[in-house]
Amino acid sequence: MFKLKVSDAKLLRDMAAAIAILVDEATFKIEPEGLKLRAMDPSRVAMIDFEWPKTIFEEYVCEAPSKMCINISELLKLLKRAGKDEAVELSLDDKTGRLQIKITGKYSRNFNMPTLEASEEEVPTPKIAFNIKAKTTTQGLSQAIEDAQLVSDHVRIEADSEKLLLNASGDLMGATITLQKGSDALLDLEAKENSKATFSLSYLSEIIKAASATSDIATLEFSTDMPVRIDFQQTKEGKLTFFLAPRIETE
Amino acid sequence: MRVIADLHIHSRYSRATSQRMSIDEIARFAKIKGLNLVGTGDFTHPKWLTEIQETLVPEPNTSLYKVASKADSPVRFMLTTEVCTIFNFENEVKKVHHVILTPSVETAVQINDALKRYGDLGADGRPLLNMTAPQLVEEVMATSSENMVFPAHVWTPWFSVFGAFSGFDSIEDCYQDMAKHIHALETGLSSDPAMNWRLSRLDRFALVSNSDCHSFWPWRIGREANVFELGRMSYREVVDAVCSKDPARFKLTIETDPAYGKYHWTGHRKCNVSLSPQEAEKFGNMCPVCRRKLTKGVEPRVEELADRPTDFKPDNKPGFMRLLPLSEIIATVLGAASPSTQAVWKMYNLLVGKFGDEYTVLIDASEDALAEVADAAIADAVLRVRTGSIRVVPGYDGVYGKLDLGVAGPAEKPTRRSVQQLNLADFW
Repeated sequence: MFKLKVSDAKLLRDMAAAIAILVDEATFKIEPEGLKLRAMDPSRVAMIDFEWPKTIFEEYVCEAPSKMCINISELLKLLKRAGKDEAVELSLDDKTGRLQIKITGKYSRNFNMPTLEASEEEVPTPKIAFNIKAKTTTQGLSQAIEDAQLVSDHVRIEADSEKLLLNASGDLMGATITLQKGSDALLDLEAKENSKATFSLSYLSEIIKAASATSDIATLEFSTDMPVRIDFQQTKEGKLTFFLAPRIETE
Repeated sequence: MRVIADLHIHSRYSRATSQRMSIDEIARFAKIKGLNLVGTGDFTHPKWLTEIQETLVPEPNTSLYKVASKADSPVRFMLTTEVCTIFNFENEVKKVHHVILTPSVETAVQINDALKRYGDLGADGRPLLNMTAPQLVEEVMATSSENMVFPAHVWTPWFSVFGAFSGFDSIEDCYQDMAKHIHALETGLSSDPAMNWRLSRLDRFALVSNSDCHSFWPWRIGREANVFELGRMSYREVVDAVCSKDPARFKLTIETDPAYGKYHWTGHRKCNVSLSPQEAEKFGNMCPVCRRKLTKGVEPRVEELADRPTDFKPDNKPGFMRLLPLSEIIATVLGAASPSTQAVWKMYNLLVGKFGDEYTVLIDASEDALAEVADAAIADAVLRVRTGSIRVVPGYDGVYGKLDLGVAGPAEKPTRRSVQQLNLADFW
């Protein structure tokens, strides 16, 4: 048996939105300690690593570890029907294999949706030694990404011990965005060695936009021409981390 | 006699076609190229058919035509057209292009009378017909048993019989009981006979090659063609040579390197992403830049249906020769942005002036003879194209492949992109 309940639908909705930017069909690991998901987008350029401990929920019941795969976009449509401060309860009907979604507030709504065949793929974590660790506000990071998007579809992120630079270069225009250590946007910066890597702005902007609804602080870790790890500090407990593969500049 | 034929071209009444595409210009550039038989294209279009009737006259006893005002021109015309059938098959919309050959204006008119019930023939030189592929063949063959229908550019992702997006897995699925009238397949620019030989199910078909050109420039017309050795040039001799697949008469096809074709590799034009089949698989056939579905290339589509190894070579079949347009070769050597620049034309005209036509330059001219007219680098490039010692950066999603004379050997990675997306599996 599996069941969970949150008192504020926003928590669940924001998390579903963050997952939905990368995957359509999400296979959750349901464990007695909580809910986990690790998945890559179909092109395997980005990955989400998400964990919610059971303490985050008003109610959490898991009698035995299992997996549940659902169409996350469809679930998100239903969750968007929930208003502010309305409670949501998810429960898996073991007999029918359908997920029951109950939204209660001003009135009560019961939806159900099919579960899908769970993926057996175990997604490994990229093995990377990070040389840069930058703690930013999600708002500051989000605005910097929006600035870069005005001129290009990719951005080179560079860092030394003093600053984080975002360099974007398009066919016609260019942009350099500087986040100085200790500024309102860059809360902390650790640099083992100067590093730079280029990333797709389409991925970065969608990830940051969706995840910023769940978090005020984002920590970027990267090394030269290696994937970036972006950890979004959750307001409650839990983990929401993305990995994004770099683009490399060739002759 | 040797007949070099390009049987699939378009008139100015087709979309995205040069407005200067007239019978006179087609004849002029066909001769420069070295073609002596060319399709009229678009005989289904009423205005083009009128123009055909006004400018061409029958060559007696051949069921072919010649330009009335150019009695001395060696170029003959065959009445040809391309149509697009759109129909449902097992709850999927199928759009398939077909080429039709017919022996006379009279039979062309009869075909048009039959086909106009299925679509507006005046809307486009390549009309869209609401009918199934077998219906088309039935209608065309009912007007004359001498007509010929074959599927056009059979591997392109859209609008083709084996296309990755709206095609079939076999000719029989597409043409049903009318498959018995299908004797040839047009391989298209992005595939060559060697790729098609890998499918045993295609053994019974002749493999023909045409340019499907939308302009008469020599880097378009005749870039692919069919070479025959016939007792005399006539409609029946050509059709019979194709249907028989007799290598004594249907000698070979002239092919561009399949990588030159616009759909050889998988990719996404908007994002400048071009991927080998292996790389595309690694990205789940999704564009790593915008995450939309990639346009699957011809090479991986052939691989899906192939049941033979890549080096399979059948016995007793017409062969093929890989060439590239001379203008493209010159432009690459000169570093010109386009084959239409004056510098390219100047060298092109020198070579064609010396040897008579482009095919002679590309196929027959000796190194010494070439070097008398052209720079050593151009002579060398022509010979390298002739012997296959070149590299072509593969085309993808509507972008032509690009000749690269810098490094010999097969292309491993596209060099077009300045920024290349990696995926996370590269870091496990």
